[in-house]
Amino acid sequence: MKNNILKISNLAFLFCALLLTTGCDFDFPLPEANSIDDLQLPVADFTESQDPVDFRTYQFQNLSSESLNYEWDFGTGETSSDENPLYRFEAGEGTYTVTLVSSDANGESDRITRDIVVIEPEAPDAIIPRIMEASFEDGQLEGGSGDGRDSWRNNSLGGVIQITSSPVFDGDQASKYPREGDRIAYQELEITPNTDYRFDFVYTLKTDAPGSITFDVLAGGGYSSVSGAEVLGSFTGTDQDDSGTYTEASVRFNTGNNNMISIYVHNEGEEARLDAITIEVEE
Amino acid sequence: MKYLYSLLFVGLFVSSCGDEFLNPTPQSSVVASDFFSSDAELLSGVFAMYDALQGVNENTQTNIMDFNRGIQFEYLVTEMRSDNSRSQTDEGSKADFHRYIVNANNVEVEDYYASMYEIIFRSNVVMSFIDVADPENVDQYTGEARFMRAYAYFNLIRLFGDVPLITENINPGDDAAFIRVDTDIIYDQIVSDLTEAVSFLADGGAKSRASKGAAQALLAKVYLSMPSPNYSQAQSLCESVMASMEYSLLSNFNDIFYNELNDELIFVVEFLPANADESQSFSSEFNFLTGRQDGLNIPEANLRNALTLNGGNRTETSFIMSTNGEFECAKYFPDGFGPEDDYGPNSRNAGNDWIVMRYADVLLMHAEAILAGAPSTTASNALESVNMVRSRAEVDDITGTLTAQDLLLERRVELAFENHRFFDLQRFGSLSSVIAAYAAEEGFDFNVNQLTLPIPAREINLSRGLMSQNPGY
Repeated sequence: MKNNILKISNLAFLFCALLLTTGCDFDFPLPEANSIDDLQLPVADFTESQDPVDFRTYQFQNLSSESLNYEWDFGTGETSSDENPLYRFEAGEGTYTVTLVSSDANGESDRITRDIVVIEPEAPDAIIPRIMEASFEDGQLEGGSGDGRDSWRNNSLGGVIQITSSPVFDGDQASKYPREGDRIAYQELEITPNTDYRFDFVYTLKTDAPGSITFDVLAGGGYSSVSGAEVLGSFTGTDQDDSGTYTEASVRFNTGNNNMISIYVHNEGEEARLDAITIEVEE
Repeated sequence: MKYLYSLLFVGLFVSSCGDEFLNPTPQSSVVASDFFSSDAELLSGVFAMYDALQGVNENTQTNIMDFNRGIQFEYLVTEMRSDNSRSQTDEGSKADFHRYIVNANNVEVEDYYASMYEIIFRSNVVMSFIDVADPENVDQYTGEARFMRAYAYFNLIRLFGDVPLITENINPGDDAAFIRVDTDIIYDQIVSDLTEAVSFLADGGAKSRASKGAAQALLAKVYLSMPSPNYSQAQSLCESVMASMEYSLLSNFNDIFYNELNDELIFVVEFLPANADESQSFSSEFNFLTGRQDGLNIPEANLRNALTLNGGNRTETSFIMSTNGEFECAKYFPDGFGPEDDYGPNSRNAGNDWIVMRYADVLLMHAEAILAGAPSTTASNALESVNMVRSRAEVDDITGTLTAQDLLLERRVELAFENHRFFDLQRFGSLSSVIAAYAAEEGFDFNVNQLTLPIPAREINLSRGLMSQNPGY
C-alpha cells in the first residue's frame, strides 16, 4: 500500500511536471510589458589633431555619445574599429574623406563624414628686405627718380647725407659724411622676427684727423631720437690707412621680437664714405 | 494710567528693535561679511589664497574625503599621467593615474578640482573686500588675487577642459557653479587677470607671494598654451623677466631643490618641517619607505633613459637607486634626507617648498616663443637661451638648428618631477601620440579620452542636469 501511494504520488508529480512543461509553451508578450524604447540614440562626432612631428599622422578623438561600436573609414581604403584611432595617411598630402559610424547594442547608428586636408606645414622663408638706394646711385626709385639719398633721410636725427663721386666702391656714387658728424643715413626695413641677418658694406675714412664711422642696427622704427634705442648690432670702422681704398665690413645681428629694424649710420672726427650695402640671412 | 504704562513699555520695545537687534553680529563665529573690516584682516584673506594652494598634509588630516590638499596632489594629476612616472603598486585610486583608468569618482581628482576652486573663491573674496585695504596696498592685493585666480583657472582648463567660470562671490545653489564655460572665454579671463597682475605687482618680495616676475612668467606660459598662441607677447614677457635681473640660474643644479628660496625661483609654495599645519606629505610619497603607499611618482625607464642620455649633471639630482634597489625621484628628499638617512626624522611632515616656476623654465619658454610653433629654428637668440640651461647641466651646446623635439626633451630632463611634462606635451601637440606609445610600451589600455580628467561625479550630481561629463567617462 505504501508503495502504491508512492507510485501514485510519483505519477502525480510526473503529471504536474508535464503540466508545467507544456505550460511554458504559451507565448506571453510579458518581457516587453514594461520596457521603454531607447530614445537616446547614438550621435557620431569626432575631432582630430595633426602630429607635430609627422604631419601624415593624425590622432582621432571620438566625441560620439550613446555608442559602443565604432567603424572608421579613412578614405584610403583602410578602416579601424578602435574607439580613438591613431592613423597615418601614408600617401602624404591630400584631401581624405573620413567617415565614422557609431552604433549602440540595438543596432542604431549615426554617421559623420568630414574631409581631412593633410598638408605638410612649411617653415616660412625669412623676408629678405630690399634696401632702397643701397648703393647711393641716382635714379633708383620709382620711375627712375631719386638722387641716391632720398631713402636715407631722418631730419630729427641729423642732416641728410652728402653724395660723393670719388672715391666710390661701385657704380658712380657713394654716401659721404662730413667731418662735423652732423649728417646721418637712416632707413627702416621690414624683416622677419627672431632671424639672424648680416649686413655687408664698405667704408673709408679720410686720414687728416682721427675719426670713425658707425653702422648701427636699431630695433623697430619710427625714431626721432636714438637715446635709449635697442641696438641689435653695430660696427664702428676706424681703418684710416688709405682714404682712397674702401674697407669691407659687416654687422651680424638677430632681429629678436621685432618686425622692423632701422639702419642708422653716423660718423665722428673725420670725413667718411660708405657704399654698397647688402643684407643676407645668416645660415 | 495702567494702560498708559503698558503703552510706554510697548514703545520701549519698538524703539529698541533696530537692525542690530534683528541681525546681531555673531559673537562665537567669524562671518565673511563682518570679518574683513581692516587692512590687516584683508591681508589674512590674501594669505588664505596661498593657504588653499599649500593644502593640508594627508598625515595631519588622514580622512580620504577631499580635504583641500592643494598642490600636494598635483603630481598625481600631472606628472603621473605623463610618461615620466608611475605608482609602485596598483592599489587604490592614486594608482589609477599612471594606468589611465581614472574614473569620475576619483577622490584625488575631486580634491584637486575643489582645491583650485577654493583658491578662486578666496581670490574673489579678497577682490570683493578690496575697499578696506590701505590705499597703498590696493594694487598689491588686487594683483595677487588676480594672479592666483588666473593660476587656478589655467590649471583647471588644461586638466578638465571647459569648467565653470566664477569671478565674483556666489551663493550655494547658484547655477553658475555648474555651467561649463568654453576654454576660450576662460583664457580671455586669465589673460585679463594676469595682464592686470603684471601692471599692479612689483618685482621682488616674498617668493611665496605673487610678484611682477611671477605674473609675467605665468602669462608667457598662458600665451604659449592658448589655442591660438601669441608667441610675440610670450617672447617679450620672457625677455622682461630676463632683463629684470631678479632671477638667475644657480650654478649647482642640486641647490635649486635643497637651498630654499634661492635666486632661480620665481614662485614657490612654502612649507615648514615638523609642523602639522604647514608641512607637506609629497616628499614621503616619492619614496618606498616612509609614504602612505609603496611609492608614488616612481621614475619610468623611459624618463631614466632620457636623463641618462641627455641630463648631464641633472641626472643624479633627478633620480637615484634607493636602498630597496628601486629607482626613485631625488628632487624632493624630505628636508634633504635621502635613503641612506632613512629619509630623516620628519619625512611625513617635510618642509621642502614646492617650486611652481623657476628661471630655467622662462629661458626655455623664451626659445619656445621664438620657435613659434615651427618644427625648428636657427635663430641665435633661441639657441642662446637653451644653451644657457644646457651649459649649467654640463651638456654640449645645441648648434645650428634647434628643433621642437630638442626643446621638448630639454624641458623633460630639466624639469622632471616638477609637474611640467604633461602640460609640455599638451602645449607641443604631442600628448596623445607620446602617451599612446608609452602606454603601449607599458601595456596600459590607453584611451585618449583619459587625457582630459573627468569632472568630479559629485559636481555633476549636484548640478541638477546643468553639467555634462567629458567624453569617455
